[in-house]
Amino acid sequence: MNNRRTIALIALAIAAVAPRAAAQTPERPPMLAGCPTENLAWHTCALQKTKTFTPPRTSSGKPNLQGIWRSRLTQSFSVEGVAEDHPYVKDVNQRWDVGAPEIIEPADRKIPYQPAAARIGREGINFRDYVDPRTTCSTGGVPRLALQDPSQILQPPTDDHILWLHEDHHQFRVIAMNQQPLPGRNVTTWNGVSRGRWDGNTLVIETANFNGYVWIDDSGNFYTNNARTTERLTMVDADTIHYEATIEDPTVYTRPWRVAWALIRDTTPGGYELFEESCREGDRNLPAIREQGFKLYYGIPWRFR
Amino acid sequence: MQHGFPASIVLAALLTLAPTLAVAQVGTIPRMPDGRPNLQGIWQVLAPAAWDIQDHSPRLGVPAGQGIVEGNEIPYQPAALKRRQENFANRATADPESKGYLPGVPRIMYMPFPFQILQTPTHVAMTFEYAQAVRIVYTNGTPHPRGPIEWWMGDSRGKWDGDTLVVDVVHFTDQTWLDRAGNFHSELLHLVERYTMTGPDHINYEVTVEDPKVFTRPWKMRTVLYRRKEPNVRLLDYVPALLMEEELAEQERQKAK
Repeated sequence: MNNRRTIALIALAIAAVAPRAAAQTPERPPMLAGCPTENLAWHTCALQKTKTFTPPRTSSGKPNLQGIWRSRLTQSFSVEGVAEDHPYVKDVNQRWDVGAPEIIEPADRKIPYQPAAARIGREGINFRDYVDPRTTCSTGGVPRLALQDPSQILQPPTDDHILWLHEDHHQFRVIAMNQQPLPGRNVTTWNGVSRGRWDGNTLVIETANFNGYVWIDDSGNFYTNNARTTERLTMVDADTIHYEATIEDPTVYTRPWRVAWALIRDTTPGGYELFEESCREGDRNLPAIREQGFKLYYGIPWRFR
Repeated sequence: MQHGFPASIVLAALLTLAPTLAVAQVGTIPRMPDGRPNLQGIWQVLAPAAWDIQDHSPRLGVPAGQGIVEGNEIPYQPAALKRRQENFANRATADPESKGYLPGVPRIMYMPFPFQILQTPTHVAMTFEYAQAVRIVYTNGTPHPRGPIEWWMGDSRGKWDGDTLVVDVVHFTDQTWLDRAGNFHSELLHLVERYTMTGPDHINYEVTVEDPKVFTRPWKMRTVLYRRKEPNVRLLDYVPALLMEEELAEQERQKAK
């Protein structure tokens, strides 16, 4: 095996994560951008700060969100949080990290599932029977992509589109800023079809046309192809973005709900460039997972057919 | 001919007009605020090079086509030519496209799927409907990272030569092909691509292909990228590997019933 091949294989090995293996949870400092780092407290404080911060501008005068971003105040296991007494925290096969919920609304910090859907998400049927779709080299989808590291935002000076590139499985989202109508509802996609607009200094991204094949987190929380998301990205200071996503799906939730966390600017000396994270091309992991009896997940609607 | 112009005069007139027309066309291309050509939009090739980059007659499921290779001949080394013939014979299973892998460059540029270009002064990003592939062309003056690196889509660094975007691409794998007819390359593939707008809706795409392990000399391909003009056109997704898996899941579901 020559060196070239070795490097490629190392890159592939990094990409091919085990289905229940703990992703490394980013550090959670006591304060971030001058705000306490429990998600709800940070959300409230950071939003207040955005009101007095004047963001840097692009040449065309729009808030300049360009750069390489890393997520903080996140854990990948459950958007509902992982309590200290959760059995997987001490389970050597799972090794979940304790972490605050990323959910900031509703007040109980739980996904407002309809009863049947609650048995499917939240370490339910999905978690028990199905392969995490992200493990099959698909995509994290919305909002899970924003939780993966790192990503890059590009703002063409023509202001007609914004591109959000994610290193994770070379995913990308093209956000049309021209309010072009969405495709018909039978056109579905993994990352949805996104339209953006500026609300003051906030980039608002509204997304629909999901295929409903993704999970929101490692524990099988989900939405269907009927979901819509609204994300809001606002600079708190020159190196921090307040990220918030509202998820609605009348098929499985009783009301819309929201998550929030931070995106911080990557300050790697000399700058960081996104790597090509090929996944499918080197995946030797999926057959082993499948041998354990996990089924391929292609969305909740199938079970209602 | 009695009432028309003598052929020689028509020809002379055409020859005189041709450069003028070319200049007039170049003048109408869209431009970015910094004056560079604006390559942004959704583009797609029409030439049937995805099936075979060389001249070919129709085969079942394969449209006939005139090749995009300059002079039509690809200067393979003898051993490589043998492998190319084996590839063609075994193409149904040997073609990496049949596994749904990232198709590499330049192949993805002439596959029959749309891609979108987004442009800033420092980046030209190409996002592809096929396999959710991405190429980031850095136009910020940075060099290729030090190799050896094997990436499926290579590493792209661009610079402007007048109104032509010139992209140098290296750091490939030996796992991708050039078309469905078994044309291939090694990890030493080196490309120089030239993107030249000839009007608001056309990009002349030219690529010089160099690979000291496979070819005896550099050679060129040329084709045209057309702007998708439907008012509602958007980049959607076509991820072949996931569609294959979905098919498998459907079969399992049917069996379980």
